[in-house]
Amino acid sequence: MKKISISALILSLFVSTFAIANEVNIFNARHYKADAELYSKFTAATGIKVNLINGKAGALEKRMIEEGADSAADLYITADAGRCGAFKAKGMTQAGLVSPTIKSSVPKNFRTTHWVGVAKRARIVYYAPERVSGAELSGLTYESLADPKWKGRIAIRASSNIYNKSLVASLVKNNGKKAAGEWAKGVVANMARDPKGNDRAQIMAVAAGEADIAVANTYYLALMLSGNKGAEQQAAAKKVKAFFPNQNDRGTHMNISCAALVKGAPNKANAIALVDYLLSPEAQEHFTNNTFEFPMISGVSPNPLVVNNLGLDFKQDLTTSVASYGDKQADALEVMTAAGWK
Amino acid sequence: MNSNKLNIWFLSSLLVSLLVIIPIITVSISFFEETSRYFEILKSTFLFEYILNSLLLLIGVLILTFILGVGASYLVSFYEFPGVNFFKWALILSFAIPPYIYAYSLFAFFDNYGTAFTILKTLFGEGEFNQHIPKFDGMFGLILSISFSLYAYVYILGRSSFLYQSQNLIELGKNLGFSKFKSFFFIILPASRPAIVAGLSLVAMETLAEFGAVDFFSVNTLTTGIYNAWITFDDLAFANRISFFLLLFIFILFLTEKLSRKKAKYHLDSRGGFKQKEKIKLSGINSFFAFLFCFLLFFFSFLFPLSQMVYWTIKFPENFFDVNVINLLLNTLYLVTLSSIVLIFFALLSNYGNRVSKNKTLNFLSTLSISGYAIPGVILAVAFITFIAWFDNNIIKSLGFLSIKKIFIGSILGLIIVYFIRFYSLAFNGIKSGYEKINFSVDESAYLLGYSKRKTFFNIHIPYLRNSLLFVIILISLEIIRELPITLVLRPFNFETFATTAYISASEDMLEAAAVPSLFLILIAAFFITISSKYILKDNNE
Repeated sequence: MKKISISALILSLFVSTFAIANEVNIFNARHYKADAELYSKFTAATGIKVNLINGKAGALEKRMIEEGADSAADLYITADAGRCGAFKAKGMTQAGLVSPTIKSSVPKNFRTTHWVGVAKRARIVYYAPERVSGAELSGLTYESLADPKWKGRIAIRASSNIYNKSLVASLVKNNGKKAAGEWAKGVVANMARDPKGNDRAQIMAVAAGEADIAVANTYYLALMLSGNKGAEQQAAAKKVKAFFPNQNDRGTHMNISCAALVKGAPNKANAIALVDYLLSPEAQEHFTNNTFEFPMISGVSPNPLVVNNLGLDFKQDLTTSVASYGDKQADALEVMTAAGWK
Repeated sequence: MNSNKLNIWFLSSLLVSLLVIIPIITVSISFFEETSRYFEILKSTFLFEYILNSLLLLIGVLILTFILGVGASYLVSFYEFPGVNFFKWALILSFAIPPYIYAYSLFAFFDNYGTAFTILKTLFGEGEFNQHIPKFDGMFGLILSISFSLYAYVYILGRSSFLYQSQNLIELGKNLGFSKFKSFFFIILPASRPAIVAGLSLVAMETLAEFGAVDFFSVNTLTTGIYNAWITFDDLAFANRISFFLLLFIFILFLTEKLSRKKAKYHLDSRGGFKQKEKIKLSGINSFFAFLFCFLLFFFSFLFPLSQMVYWTIKFPENFFDVNVINLLLNTLYLVTLSSIVLIFFALLSNYGNRVSKNKTLNFLSTLSISGYAIPGVILAVAFITFIAWFDNNIIKSLGFLSIKKIFIGSILGLIIVYFIRFYSLAFNGIKSGYEKINFSVDESAYLLGYSKRKTFFNIHIPYLRNSLLFVIILISLEIIRELPITLVLRPFNFETFATTAYISASEDMLEAAAVPSLFLILIAAFFITISSKYILKDNNE
């Protein structure tokens, strides 16, 4: 008898509890503390429990694909439209992520029925004012980063980075694959160093004098200026300035953090409720003040650090659909790899 | 012979062997599958790069661990100098620092506006220090990170071999008029070769299996190649093809290690009649250099990463409250407990089976079942998912049953199974070495006294094995605390360990936030190492 109860006890240790509960399961590739706080607030407000599995986007996608129809995943939350788009192209998402809130608050360019943008960011150029003149910068476009005048002066991340894949995908979409290929070669020739490190590392390379201009997302500078990354980075951030490319044509490359409704999601209604919540003014304000992204909805202002140091008054590229980042992702990676972009 | 009972041991050994063979077969079969054509040309370039980088990494790490490990063990075993008793123990603390945490520290210290910058600024005021601070990243940073974390394998095995080198050999050198230098290279080193090679092959296997640090420095090796092929190219067949090459590499190392082990053992057992040597007392400048070497090694391998993590924890105290330490600790203990129970159960069964039956097939199966340790965690995890998905789609569902995927993928059960495959050799060998010390006459006496086999096992073997079991549990704990790729790929919802929390923070541009989980990981691992140091550093082989 004793043996049986011990075996039962041991066995029970292995079996996860499969209780049916009021919950929503998120495969989460955004690991900001702010997000976790939002999920807690959501649970407090609705009683819906949020289950998280954190990981890098690629690994999470893979697991959902392998689990197939049996996956417990409801929502996939990640920080790039290219990812949501590519995931949809694999047939892993479903239509039905629609609600009055989504329709009224998210511009059409930033959503499909499968996935919805919940916050925005722009990928821009940072420069060292003492080494780069206004005249040199004037009229700068992503396309002109391939101009030989920038030889040995650009810091940019590796080609495997999703933000770069999406930026290059937008160039493939706008200028064609061949032109994008030539462009990639030009950029590689202009690099100040082999691509390494994250977006902040590119900005710091400019501050430290390793490069004159860098390509990085908007919120990173605000994050450094906030002092959350220490006094040294705060001081470093003050040495660089932001520049929004392509102001005279289609506008600056925009990207989103997105939530995708996973195919076979067991808790679809709860998933939509969570997305609605993330689009509420309360949640949007929380995003802007903690992750320094741009709000998705109107009526919420970006954080003062963003407004004061980057400016708000810039032309966003609203003609290139962010959905195309996923469609052109493979082409983008191909042209970068072929150009020898590490 | 009682064939009925034999069957249980046989079946359990068979089961364990099958578990280990599954990933190897999955990988091998996929090798012959068509891979997707889309990136055909790019892929052959990548494959070449992966192989080249893996080789470079391997060579760099082997040279460095050889110098560090052999140097330290030689000094500590043969000489008397200030702090030698402390270093003897302190030099194994580097095991508490997984290569990926070392990588975080190394990068953060030398990065633009990193810790080195802060120190220089504090000392000398404002200045353009960034350009003058060397940058340790990419391949070089990776080699340093892995070497400082793994040299202890060479140190421990080298030391145990040096300890039993007879005084006669040393005296032989003296009589021949050899200098210390010459004695070392022509007498001591060749005599210890098997042990050192065994240590180096362990280092090599761990290097090829390394995932976290390689991923952090974005060096494309075979291991990250597998992961990228699987994720970026969406091409499991290509991932498995790379795995096949990696397994080939590892197979060679595994054989090298096994052969050297045998010789190492022979060497250790033949020490009878030799007297335990007395250490040579160093003085003056030599004594200082010996101290300096050990101190710097201890500093760079343990104090440096530890202080970087402590520094961050103090500098960004808000991160401390974001990490649910109790929860992470409980999760880790949970995994350790379950794994230990299962591993020890099967390892005992198998060892006992081998002892009473002396069956050749059983012996072969046991050898096969411990080869899981040589397979990198990434491969195991990917192969496990591939296998379960295949099994589920082709067998379970076609028989009309409900899907079993949820039971195995993203569950504690799946996690424990793959840990089991990877760490079975630790449990098996640990218990085996314990069993080897129980003389067969003990069993025979027990039977004469009328003990049943079962009673012999529970009343005689288990008490004898108590220390070995304890040591096995500690080894398993150490491995699971530091384990990253398997846990990362297979863990369930809302389930994190110190390692996954650190990895996720680091991969999301929040290296500072990785400090708190890393710090706890180091402290817990160091605690386990300290309480087991007496076994790791046994001064005599009893």
